[in-house]
Amino acid sequence: MDQQTVEQNEAIFVDLVASSWRRHSEMVRATQTDDLLLGAMIASGVGQGWSLIDLGSDGRTHLIRFDHAASQSRMVIAIDSLAEDLQTAKVLGRLARVTVGYGRRVDNLGTVFQAVKTEIKSAIIASDEPGVITVDGDLSTGYVYATVPLLLDLDEYLSGPLQVDYPKLSAHVGAVVHSLNKYLTGRLAV
Amino acid sequence: MLKKLVDFANKREMRESRDEMVVGEIVLAMAQLGMPAIRFVATAGQQNVRFATPADPLLHSVAVTLDRKTGGGAISDAVVGSKAVLTVVAEVKNYLADPDDLVHMWRTDFANITRMPLLGQVKLDHQLNSVLATKKLITELNELVAEGGAGRAQLTQLLHATLDELRGHLAPYKRQSPFEIDG
Repeated sequence: MDQQTVEQNEAIFVDLVASSWRRHSEMVRATQTDDLLLGAMIASGVGQGWSLIDLGSDGRTHLIRFDHAASQSRMVIAIDSLAEDLQTAKVLGRLARVTVGYGRRVDNLGTVFQAVKTEIKSAIIASDEPGVITVDGDLSTGYVYATVPLLLDLDEYLSGPLQVDYPKLSAHVGAVVHSLNKYLTGRLAV
Repeated sequence: MLKKLVDFANKREMRESRDEMVVGEIVLAMAQLGMPAIRFVATAGQQNVRFATPADPLLHSVAVTLDRKTGGGAISDAVVGSKAVLTVVAEVKNYLADPDDLVHMWRTDFANITRMPLLGQVKLDHQLNSVLATKKLITELNELVAEGGAGRAQLTQLLHATLDELRGHLAPYKRQSPFEIDG
């Protein structure tokens, strides 16, 4: 075999391995997008002065809770990835059920009890349909939460491979938190 | 009285959440170093986060594990403090590997059997075409979440220094290939 043929064969072999690795990485990335967004939410929240106080994750379902000591408020985000495999991600997009909750510390125990009563009504009409705001009261810590489920395409928050569009992510999470805060203030006089 | 109970419950919750606070700071510090988080596995008392290293020409990924040992209760927090074991594992991946590598790997693994990552030594390990360097540190969580930014600066410096040390141990094992894949 002459030198030129040897080099051609080696070049073909390297191309085959390189393209295999690209396809393999694409399959792996499909399972990582939700974790990537979760990490971005944590970095963004902590960078804006929130403290991460709860983290639960099994690789597909994630739950994070933040606390803001100065304003005595808390934020809860739950992510349930619906597109862990590449086929689903390519056909439907990287969909995920994202539940965002915002909570305020309430010293008036009567307000917390009212929130707990509202929580019972919320449980009766518990729905995974987006936009339905439910209320939760935590008697032990005195926090009242308003939560809303959303169905998001996580690809909209990526600006490239392994790159998150932080301004868009912060703006969207901030908008949801603002609306939930307004709901709590108006509905429950919190 | 009820307000005092609620205050007590909140303080206890914040004390028990100190390890999660440090994990949040770790995720922020690594993001600022150009390493986004790509995998979370979290259970009560132990959190494991894996980071991609798209801007690092040597490392393929970094995994950080925080395992809290003390400080969940008020008394242990006051007496012993909030101690945790911080494990940093850096990975180098060789995209083209051949059987000769396995023989070399076996020799290196055998030489590393007596190394103890918890005593400040870096332990090297081979997993197929990956080489892993592990270092464990005992940290005080209260120092890493100190207010005023001091805790954040200390944590960033700690991660930076540890990653530099692990890079130094892994550099001889990186075999350049005609292509590199991030993450």
